[in-house]
Amino acid sequence: MLLQTVFLAFFGLAAIWFAVVVFRTSSMVRSALALLFSQAAIGTMFLAMQTEFLGVLQIMMMATEMAIMAIFMVMYMMDPGGLSGMDMTHQKRVSIAAGVLGTAVAVGTALLVDWGPIAGVPRPGAQVHDLGIELMERSMLIFETAGVTILTAMVATTAIAIGPRGPRGGVDD
Amino acid sequence: MAPLYVALLVGAVLFGVGLYGALSQTNLVMIMMGVEVMLGGAMVNLVAFWRFLHPETYSGQMFVLIVMTVMALEMAVGFGVGTGRFRAKGSVEMEEARDLKG
Amino acid sequence: MIFSYLAILGPLLAAAAVLALRRGAAPLALVGSFAGLAGASLALAHVAGGASRSAELPGLPGLPLRLVADPLGALLSLVVGAVGFLVMVYAVGYMEGEGSGARFYAGMSFFVAAMQALVLAGDWVLLLASWELIGFSSYLLIGFWFWRDGVPSSATRAFLYTRSADLGLYVAIFVLISRTGTSEISATLDVGSPAATVAGLLLLLAAAGKSAQTPLQGWLQDAMAGPTPVSALLHSATLVAAGAILMIRVSPLLPPGVRLAVGLLGALSAVACGLIAVSQRDLKRLLAASTSSQYGLMLLAVGAGSPVAALFHLVAHAAMKSSLFLASGVFQHARGSTAFTDLAGVGRERRLAFLGFVVAGLALAGVPPLSGFFSKDAMIAASFASPYAPVFGPLALAGALMSAVYVARAIRLLWHSTGAGSPVAGSGWMGAGLAALVALAAALGLAEGPIAGLIGQDIPRNLLVAGVGLALALGGLLLGWFVPAGRLLGPARGPAERGFRLGGGFDALAARPALALAGAADRFDRGIHRGVVGVGESALALARAARLADDAGIDRLIAALVRGTRGLGGRARRLQSGLVHRELVLATAGAALILAFLILGAFAP
Repeated sequence: MLLQTVFLAFFGLAAIWFAVVVFRTSSMVRSALALLFSQAAIGTMFLAMQTEFLGVLQIMMMATEMAIMAIFMVMYMMDPGGLSGMDMTHQKRVSIAAGVLGTAVAVGTALLVDWGPIAGVPRPGAQVHDLGIELMERSMLIFETAGVTILTAMVATTAIAIGPRGPRGGVDD
Repeated sequence: MAPLYVALLVGAVLFGVGLYGALSQTNLVMIMMGVEVMLGGAMVNLVAFWRFLHPETYSGQMFVLIVMTVMALEMAVGFGVGTGRFRAKGSVEMEEARDLKG
Repeated sequence: MIFSYLAILGPLLAAAAVLALRRGAAPLALVGSFAGLAGASLALAHVAGGASRSAELPGLPGLPLRLVADPLGALLSLVVGAVGFLVMVYAVGYMEGEGSGARFYAGMSFFVAAMQALVLAGDWVLLLASWELIGFSSYLLIGFWFWRDGVPSSATRAFLYTRSADLGLYVAIFVLISRTGTSEISATLDVGSPAATVAGLLLLLAAAGKSAQTPLQGWLQDAMAGPTPVSALLHSATLVAAGAILMIRVSPLLPPGVRLAVGLLGALSAVACGLIAVSQRDLKRLLAASTSSQYGLMLLAVGAGSPVAALFHLVAHAAMKSSLFLASGVFQHARGSTAFTDLAGVGRERRLAFLGFVVAGLALAGVPPLSGFFSKDAMIAASFASPYAPVFGPLALAGALMSAVYVARAIRLLWHSTGAGSPVAGSGWMGAGLAALVALAAALGLAEGPIAGLIGQDIPRNLLVAGVGLALALGGLLLGWFVPAGRLLGPARGPAERGFRLGGGFDALAARPALALAGAADRFDRGIHRGVVGVGESALALARAARLADDAGIDRLIAALVRGTRGLGGRARRLQSGLVHRELVLATAGAALILAFLILGAFAP
């Protein structure tokens, strides 16, 4: 219990700190990497909470995603290196207020609600097995839907990204 | 008890930071990063709830899986839109996106 | 009875024809009045034996209208018809060159018809109706030249004086009919006292008004504003005679006390109006005052108990006075006015007319063998034969003296000095009418016997009184000729000239209050009219206010609503900035709201 708490606290702080760095740095690559480390910390938290499958999944996915995101950032951003010193933020007060408000509500809910007793946890092997059973039996429809949704999203994204045909430009330009 | 609270707190703070980022950044990519952070915070909460309150039902883990899927999807679609916009207007800065101005 | 119908209908149809056709008025009027004259004379011939005819016509329920041609009525009908016809002949010449001929001849013919109905009336309702009608025609005819100054007010004053005196006639008729239950005149004459006294006094009031007796004599002076034929017909021979005719008819009704009152009133009028006549500076006004004085003598005779004498004088006076008026009309055309200062010496120019004037005047004064001598003599004899001889006799003699004085005065003023005049148009017609009436005036003395036989009463005769009367007549003539009026009357000349008006006279008592009442009623009516119009105006104002409220209030409200909605829309539009980050903020806020609702929903009861 105590160990779990310590680990959770440590990696939680790491996740928070890296998330803050994402938005405070002006270099795009550093921003992407900070996000990677934040998500990795979250994955480690999953591991600390004895959901091995999810934790591993999170780390793997986020690594790939952040790499792709770094490419896109370099492609589309004005100042990837972040050396120009421009302030890339707007409506600071509104966003700070929104963030603080959101945090306060969530913290308040977490602290004020009576969550009940802590329960025990099954073994990882049994977890994976039961998760598979769950997936194949009860949540089959969910995943089918998710699969179709993914397909649709992929098609739509490709369509948007291809761009208009003709003299103005297309995929061959 | 304590780990639960720690996890919940972390999730709350992550959500707030992500919200701040989503609202304050000018670039589309940065906004999406903010959303990622928010979703990360939500996932932390979900896992904490499953682990400490209801480990017998696996719907908690299922939810997390879906959230991850959504994260990936959102990023993909977002980059597709950003590409399309970049082609049309030459930049993905949200300050210049006044097309829907009423 | 058919001839009496003709006497009435002849002039009436002529009046209707003149009004309908509007041309050929004079010939139609002449034909009508000649037919009336023929009818009257034939009727008299029929009843000469003392018989009488009567006819009943439908009238009020229980009170049928009656026409009675008894000797008295037939004689008066002949007088009215004869004077009417001859004055109409005269009027053809007088009114030559005058406009509105149709109105004049229609009015004159209508008057003659109404007067015939009056003398032939056998019941009170018909008498009352024709009494009012002659008053009305008098008003129309006096006001003939209504555009001249003073003429309309004279006509109104005449009408109001006689009308207010007619109250007496109305109340007397009520008394008599309610007492006897029938409206036939002869049946109501033997009702006993006190009804007889009351009725008699009231009838005296009506007669005094119509015959211009004191104190109601003022209107006759002012009635001279009408054309001279009107003065000759209405205001000497017929209309003013209606009062005396009424008294003669009802004389069997009168108890002795009323007779005294009648006689006194007549005597007082005779003397007072005689003085007024002596003082006048206008020929027609002098003749008008003389008319009042002569009718006073007639009432005196009735009061003295001899209505036959009054009737005889009435017939003679009709001829005399009308010829005097007709002659004065000729003078008026010659000189253009009737004031003595303008007429000085006109007698020398117009000798024939002046001759007629002199003959009629001497007849009036009572010089034999002219008719006036006999009639005046009869009246003075009657006054001395009555129970009240000490009072009536001297007053009658004074009246006779006065009449001689003013006749002589008038003749002198017309003869002396010379002046210039203008030629008179229509003198042929005028002369014809004048000559016929003067002849009658001279010759009617011969009618004394027949009249007495007709009525069936004796005319009083008194040789001593006749001699005294003759002496007074001659003496009066000399006085009038040689002594000017100022010396004669002394300090009484001023009041006499003004007609002895007391305290503003009847103008203040009757005429002005009546006119003030009419004015007040008119103002009240206008007030009501304004009130009604005001109600309509207020409704319109209400409508205007409603429209204003609608325009200003409701329209403005709606416009403000529109403006407010537009403003809100404008402000809402700012949300649609199109900036993504703003949209994100809004999305976040919306999500938070939904979350809040969901959470709170869990706590809802």
